[in-house]
Amino acid sequence: MTVEARFDELIHPSTRLSIVALLASADWIDFAFVRDRLGLSDSALSKQFATLEEAGYVSIERPLADRRRRVRARLTPTGKKAFDGHVAALQAVLGTATAPS
Amino acid sequence: MKEYISEADARLALRSIDDQRQQVIAEIDLPRWYWLGLAGGWVLLGIASDSGNPWLTSGATLLFGAVHAAAAQHVFSGRHKSGKLSVHAGIVGRRLPRVLFAWLIGLTLVTIGIAFAVNADGAEHASTIAAVFAATVILCGGPTLMANFRNRIARDAA
Repeated sequence: MTVEARFDELIHPSTRLSIVALLASADWIDFAFVRDRLGLSDSALSKQFATLEEAGYVSIERPLADRRRRVRARLTPTGKKAFDGHVAALQAVLGTATAPS
Repeated sequence: MKEYISEADARLALRSIDDQRQQVIAEIDLPRWYWLGLAGGWVLLGIASDSGNPWLTSGATLLFGAVHAAAAQHVFSGRHKSGKLSVHAGIVGRRLPRVLFAWLIGLTLVTIGIAFAVNADGAEHASTIAAVFAATVILCGGPTLMANFRNRIARDAA
């Protein structure tokens, strides 16, 4: 499938790019996993998630599991499309023709 | 697009994206409880077989098969090692369940072969001895098999 290359300024900052890249490889990811992998504080990650959620790129779920409140994040179809477009735009800058996976 | 970002920045961003993908690929695995349960069940099956009671052997085999089938449905995709994330199906691919089934069938044949060999040698508890060997292979070889699988996916994704 051809992806339209489109630079996304909301995704591009390094922290948000890392978050979205993690989410793009998974169906959903636990908040704590993202926090630990990226070495962010709870508040810093919450802020980034809020920005992405506001843009419609990420959905936040709070399933009740193991008697604990957990928070899961997943990339929405809009977020996936934006991410794929952003990757294609980055590849276009380098002149590589590989389609984003 | 070039007015937004330099080639160096684009390269850095793509490398960061690849790093995050590799982090998720590193989570492709089967839960530890699966390997422990499989190894334990294999040994119990060997002990049941050595009991000489056909009802016990048949019942244990059926129970083992049923429990394994139920567990395999949940874990053989390799996408749910822990409750921390669910790896995207497109990243793992469809090969893993086939690889695991083939490995288990091979291990079953090896176990039977060893049991016959040990029995022919005159040793008692041939099935248990063969099952302990298989359990050791499961505990050591299972995680190694998954590590190799992950490495291959990581190489393909790079």
